[in-house]
Amino acid sequence: MDSLLKLKNVNLKYLTGNDTIKVLKNVNLETKKNESISIVGESGSGKTSLIMLAGGLEKTTSGKIFFEDQEISKMNEDEVSKIRRKNIGIVFQSFYLIPNYTAVENVALTLELNNLKNPNERAKELLDRFGLKNRFNNLPSQLSGGEQQRVAIARAIAMKPKLVLADEPTGNLDSENSQMIADILFKYIKEEKSSLIMVTHDLKLANKAKRKIKIKDGKIV
Amino acid sequence: MEKLSKLSEYKLTLVYALRDLSRNYKKIFSIILTLFISLFILSSIFTIEDSLNKELNNNSRALLGGDIEIDYNRNVVNLDLINQVKEFATVSQMVEFSTMISTTDKSIFSRIKTVDENYPLFGKVGYEPSGAFEKLQTTENTILVNENIFKNLNLEINDKIKVQDKLFTVIGIVKSVPDIGGAFVFGDFALAGKQTLELLKLNNLGSFLNYEYKVKFNERDNPKTLSKRIEQLFKDEKKVRLRYHEKSDGPLKRIIDNFSQFLSLVSISAMLIAGIGIANTLLSFINQNNMSIAVKKSLGFFSKDIKIVYYLQLLILLLLISIAAYSFSFFLVPIVDVYLSAGLGLNIEGSFSIINYFKVFSVGLLVLVIFSIPTINAIDQIKASNLFRNVFQNLQFYYSKKSIVLSLFLLSILISLFTIGSARPIFSLGYFGAFFVCLLVFYLLSNLIIKLFKGLKEHPNISIKVSVKNITQTKSITPITIMSLGLGVTLLLTLAFVGSNFKREIAKSIPELAPDYFFIGIQNDERQIFEDLIFDMDKEANLEVVPMVSTGIVKINGIDPNSYIDSSNDSHWVIRNDRRSSWADKVLKDNPIVAGEWWDLSRPDKLQISLDNKIAKDFNIEIGDIFTLNIYGREIEGEIVNFRLVNYRDFTINFAMLLNPQFAKNIPHEYLATAKFKSLENFNEIVLLDKMPSLSIIKITDYLEKVTDLLNKVFIAVTVISAITIVIGLIVISSAIIVQGKIKEFQNLIFKILGFSKVEVVLSSIIEFFIIFTSIILIALFFAVIGSQFIIENIFQITWMFDLAIFLKVTIGIGLATLILIMITNFKYLSPKVYPLIRNQ
Repeated sequence: MDSLLKLKNVNLKYLTGNDTIKVLKNVNLETKKNESISIVGESGSGKTSLIMLAGGLEKTTSGKIFFEDQEISKMNEDEVSKIRRKNIGIVFQSFYLIPNYTAVENVALTLELNNLKNPNERAKELLDRFGLKNRFNNLPSQLSGGEQQRVAIARAIAMKPKLVLADEPTGNLDSENSQMIADILFKYIKEEKSSLIMVTHDLKLANKAKRKIKIKDGKIV
Repeated sequence: MEKLSKLSEYKLTLVYALRDLSRNYKKIFSIILTLFISLFILSSIFTIEDSLNKELNNNSRALLGGDIEIDYNRNVVNLDLINQVKEFATVSQMVEFSTMISTTDKSIFSRIKTVDENYPLFGKVGYEPSGAFEKLQTTENTILVNENIFKNLNLEINDKIKVQDKLFTVIGIVKSVPDIGGAFVFGDFALAGKQTLELLKLNNLGSFLNYEYKVKFNERDNPKTLSKRIEQLFKDEKKVRLRYHEKSDGPLKRIIDNFSQFLSLVSISAMLIAGIGIANTLLSFINQNNMSIAVKKSLGFFSKDIKIVYYLQLLILLLLISIAAYSFSFFLVPIVDVYLSAGLGLNIEGSFSIINYFKVFSVGLLVLVIFSIPTINAIDQIKASNLFRNVFQNLQFYYSKKSIVLSLFLLSILISLFTIGSARPIFSLGYFGAFFVCLLVFYLLSNLIIKLFKGLKEHPNISIKVSVKNITQTKSITPITIMSLGLGVTLLLTLAFVGSNFKREIAKSIPELAPDYFFIGIQNDERQIFEDLIFDMDKEANLEVVPMVSTGIVKINGIDPNSYIDSSNDSHWVIRNDRRSSWADKVLKDNPIVAGEWWDLSRPDKLQISLDNKIAKDFNIEIGDIFTLNIYGREIEGEIVNFRLVNYRDFTINFAMLLNPQFAKNIPHEYLATAKFKSLENFNEIVLLDKMPSLSIIKITDYLEKVTDLLNKVFIAVTVISAITIVIGLIVISSAIIVQGKIKEFQNLIFKILGFSKVEVVLSSIIEFFIIFTSIILIALFFAVIGSQFIIENIFQITWMFDLAIFLKVTIGIGLATLILIMITNFKYLSPKVYPLIRNQ
């Protein structure tokens, strides 16, 4: 299988006052295309930091990150943004829908960003597939947690990205909604032959991934 | 997937901007309001100034009274030359003089214009009843008086009034005359026929006879050629001043220019302060959208694109608001027209000018961009990675080197817009300098306060602890609050001081030592009669009589005096016309010498001159300089030997120039007198005028009433502008509080969870406000004192005085208003709803 994402000797440190916190230590990770990986570990072990780096949302302290052989760790913010807008979809634990945009507008945003025609129609199709036909014009505050996360996933996969990063996607949901979200995510990567890197505390969900990685004190164990 | 064209991308950006704007207009209401008010003030000033200038330009011939004015002032007229002009143009002679108009029991000091049948060459005279003006030239001893004289002397049409020793019939009321540009009509006036001068046989100095000839060219002739011909004809007539309608530089134009400049500077202050308010509100708005921006970044939006959407929203707002503000400014024109037509006889009409609208839009755009650069640049600080951590730090104004250069460049354009072409560019430049010094001082003050409080030991009281923490915390908004509040309070205090000084000037009673009356035109042989008459009426009257001679400054150090001073300078009046000069043996007690020595008695045959210190300064005159004076047609050189401090507003006898008595006493002269009566009711002006018909009597209280009337009108304008600025100031202050809104909400949520009482939370806000407010007040006072003193003394030229009561009122007023605003904001955030915050909504 071809390599999609490659992390080589990645280190991440934070300065807090006079103290340096080593969040990730010499992390090496390679993701192939059409692969699902779950990352598990204790709180503060560096799971979220790892997918932040994977999405090009944070700079490494040292080491290299490649996305399809392009070194994103040396790119500037705009260059990484260009790659991310087409190839990477992100799902957050807290959904993060734009509060004054309707469900359709939230999903259409990513399509519009990529200059695609008829963004609203495509967004509606996607929401319809996720069972949100009656929620097109609702604002996030008018949606339940599960509905919000479905809209968030629709937004993340609207561009059919090669990589989906999910940070505790079911962390704020009950078991029924968690199941529904997991089904949607895994169905998508199967259908579109995409890859998924997912941080989760939920072992049941973690076990659905092809590969499970445990992270402890900033190291993959 | 199918892609959009480039054009569609732009369209999409516009759609985002419009969508955000339509959904957030409530959140940015204070931006809309601030922008509207400040642009409305600016538009109103531009519209009114433009209308006034149009009126002056369109009616420049009417305002001057002709294509050209030949002003002989008080000199002997060369009728041969005037007759030569009559060969190729129509000439109207106008002679103005000041005198008393009296009935059997009342009198009034007035200016009379004697006009011939050609008057007016341009424009119209407003009068009633019909036919009265025409009758003026055909019937001898007739006169038209203005409404004030008519009312004050209780006149009826066809009543008789006395001018000097001749009786005249009042045949009507003159409502307006067109030629007010050259000699601005201030006070009472009357119109009489050309034969009046011969009837009255006026020849004394006190009457201030002024000869003017207005010239109208025939329509088929080339005005330039004829103007040159007149210039050639009068080239050797040094006492003649030619005025051209297109270069009207009369007092009226100067008054309008000065007042426009003052209003422009106040309006740009309002704009700049509004800019700070807009920056604050915008920062608060971006803070509220912090998460949305982070989400957009996580989706792959460039920071630049997000910023473009915000700039576009501001541009759309500006476009709509500037159109509304400019349109609304036209509603103000009829109101100002009523005021102007009553005060100056000018009628203005608002007319749309694309240039003016463009100016309003450009100023708005510049202010908006300058103040939104650091705010919108704050978007760069928002990171998509914040979404994983669920932490959103409060944003700060953000300056990069590039944005600083851009801001300074835009600022210099803004300053140039208001400086170049203004009546006094140096004043405008100085004003901007002061504004930015003020801003810098408040910024430094905020840093000092943060440093001082950081060094303080922790206080055990939790409310004090929290307020100190809020002030000193990293990324504290203390600098923004201090700068906004500081500038707002400074401007409000400055305007309040300007207003209070005006009010004091208006309410000012006559100084205790000031005389009750001025007497002008006492002939050399009448002095004894005059003194006897006064002492017959009141033995204890305090009478001061001084000699008076007409002098004109022809040269200074051998060259044209106009090369020494700009015509817009306050002291230019000294060389504009002949002035009265006097002489005295000893130094006058209320005119102390500030430089040089009193008369050199060893040189009695040499003319020595004592000059007003302010005039000396404005003309850059030094002791020992030579003035060539025209005294009764003779040019005499005199040396400046000293400078005196002259206060023209103390209502005692004051002269710009005093001559050495040893030299001057032989010059033919008349007298000027002042009198203060022990018992005013003993004074009978009618008896005095019967014996001395050529005497002019000016009652100080009447004069003050006229000054008061003018000042009242200016005061109304200053008050209106101040009131509007106060509104903007309060919006700015509240915007500074709004910036804290989001943090306050989170902070109070945490406090609530930790178990803080509401009283403790409120108290911490009060303490925080108290620390900030008391620290700015002294600096604001310092700048307000300097600013208001400069405006009062240099622009309005009245005496400035500190007013403690107004300082306390304004300070307490602003303090309370701000505190109430803080309390309202706090009250809103006192019990935050936990659920939406936890869900990041």
